[in-house]
Amino acid sequence: MLLFRGEEHIDRWCSQWRQARGATLTIDQAWRLARAWYGNKMETHWRRHTLDETEALLNELGLTGSFWNLRG
Amino acid sequence: MTGTLDTNVRVELYREFVETGRPPSASHLAEMMGKPAADIRAAMERLAAGKAIVLQPESREILMANPLCAVPTPHLVRAGTRSFFGSCVWDAMGVMAMLKTDATLETSCPCCGESMAIGVRDGQPAPDPGLIHFAIPARRWWEDIVFT
Repeated sequence: MLLFRGEEHIDRWCSQWRQARGATLTIDQAWRLARAWYGNKMETHWRRHTLDETEALLNELGLTGSFWNLRG
Repeated sequence: MTGTLDTNVRVELYREFVETGRPPSASHLAEMMGKPAADIRAAMERLAAGKAIVLQPESREILMANPLCAVPTPHLVRAGTRSFFGSCVWDAMGVMAMLKTDATLETSCPCCGESMAIGVRDGQPAPDPGLIHFAIPARRWWEDIVFT
């Protein structure tokens, strides 16, 4: 996952490195995902999210569609 | 109880990593925790199997205590006098989320090399026009987590 200045920079980089275009997140979306994913990683009670929990989290952030499908 | 030992090893290794900015070795963890090194290494292997951490392929020392990365990357987080690397920009944001303190992520646009930064103050990122690109579909992230 890389931070780009904008859409055209992503397109140029994908073309240059022959990478398929993936999915883009805003800083706010990524921050909310990062907080939910890693916010308690240092805590005793941390555990990995279940598949259902991860799907619910992605849905909550509007991350839907085949790219975010975990059961394919 | 391996479950309790694994939790204690995870918490201790993260605490040490965050405090010193470097991942503790298995032998250092064993010394700190007063446990046999073989028990600590076994716990680290179980944590890696459970995808809580990633070990280096040969030494079996810590490569990633996700979101922290043991080796230098282009994604640097500065928090006060401490600095950390994230394996990717999202992990670096995860470092800031995990530390729960004001911090700044320094990186650069992979396309043009222009420097970029994301600052987090009082738990919120500063408005930024940047976009994060995820190249690998979510269900394939752990097929090769180092590449991801």
